[in-house]
Amino acid sequence: MVRARCVDVFTQRPWAALAAVAVSMVLAADLKSEPLEPFRPAQGDYLLNCGGCHGFHGVSNANLVPSLKDLVGYYLRSPEGRAYLPRLPNVAFSTLSDQRLAAVLNYVVFEIGGNSAPVGGKPYDAAEVGRWRKQPLNEVVLSQYRLQLVENLISRHQAPAELRVYTGSFN
Amino acid sequence: MPKATFDVLSERLTRRLAGYSSRRGFIARLGMALAAAPLFPLLPVARASAAESPKTDFERNAQVKDETKCNYWKYCGSDGVLCSCCGGGSHTCPPGAEPSPISWIGTCVNPEDKRSYVIAYRDCCGKPACTAGKSCWCDGTDRDLPTYRSSLNNDIIWCFGNASATYHCSTAALVGLAG
Repeated sequence: MVRARCVDVFTQRPWAALAAVAVSMVLAADLKSEPLEPFRPAQGDYLLNCGGCHGFHGVSNANLVPSLKDLVGYYLRSPEGRAYLPRLPNVAFSTLSDQRLAAVLNYVVFEIGGNSAPVGGKPYDAAEVGRWRKQPLNEVVLSQYRLQLVENLISRHQAPAELRVYTGSFN
Repeated sequence: MPKATFDVLSERLTRRLAGYSSRRGFIARLGMALAAAPLFPLLPVARASAAESPKTDFERNAQVKDETKCNYWKYCGSDGVLCSCCGGGSHTCPPGAEPSPISWIGTCVNPEDKRSYVIAYRDCCGKPACTAGKSCWCDGTDRDLPTYRSSLNNDIIWCFGNASATYHCSTAALVGLAG
């Protein structure tokens, strides 16, 4: 009797049909797995709002834009430093809600900042960020304000001299 | 008693069915159907219908084949002349031009999988503007904000961190899958 050959193979060897099922399931599972993991919300917000200049992983040309990686956490070692981050103009004026902004700051300080963040440091919450962003640092000479803060962190809170690097000039 | 026509017909039908089908053949076909079924949700048609409909004009016309055209999917926020028309690629600078250390970041939807990707718009600098034809000058405006929101603006020449702030061309680098 003339029949499709492939069907005959399976009728004579039922295990072959089962094997085909198993192989195709493995294959399908493999095809379905995503090569890229989506960014977590705070990480995505960081990239879209900060990462263009501060770098995808917080590494930037520190003369132009302060580098964050393994450094930004030192700001949490003084009360002024903790307030400084949400008071920075582009942080305070962000279009993100207090909640999402707090999540971005925590991602920046505790993940990008790595060991620079104080052990057991308290994360920002929406209420704290909401308070500070209403007092943005737009009426001080920002580069001088930053330098004072950094000198204090270096002399009293064991921050490395590397934290100073930032000329704030594009020329 | 003569057999009713209906009885004759149904007997003939069942006998024919029994003669031409095999139980093992049925199992084999079922096995093949089971084997093939998981592949169907992966076909583009199924994925396209499951995804959201395009939101912007750019998304409606975007393509994934030709990166020297303005409607290449990654250029949804690109403003300027495409580096891929100037000896570079969609995310690489042409020889002699250097990438800006700073950029602005947006998202574009890939029309193939309908997913949103994070894209960094990086200018290539240090050479006079590329002289590619008009079709290479683009103005994608997805996620672009007005100049007073300069960190997310595409009119700015993002070369101000470079040794030479001269603009040569624009690239769009894929950063990853948006959340």
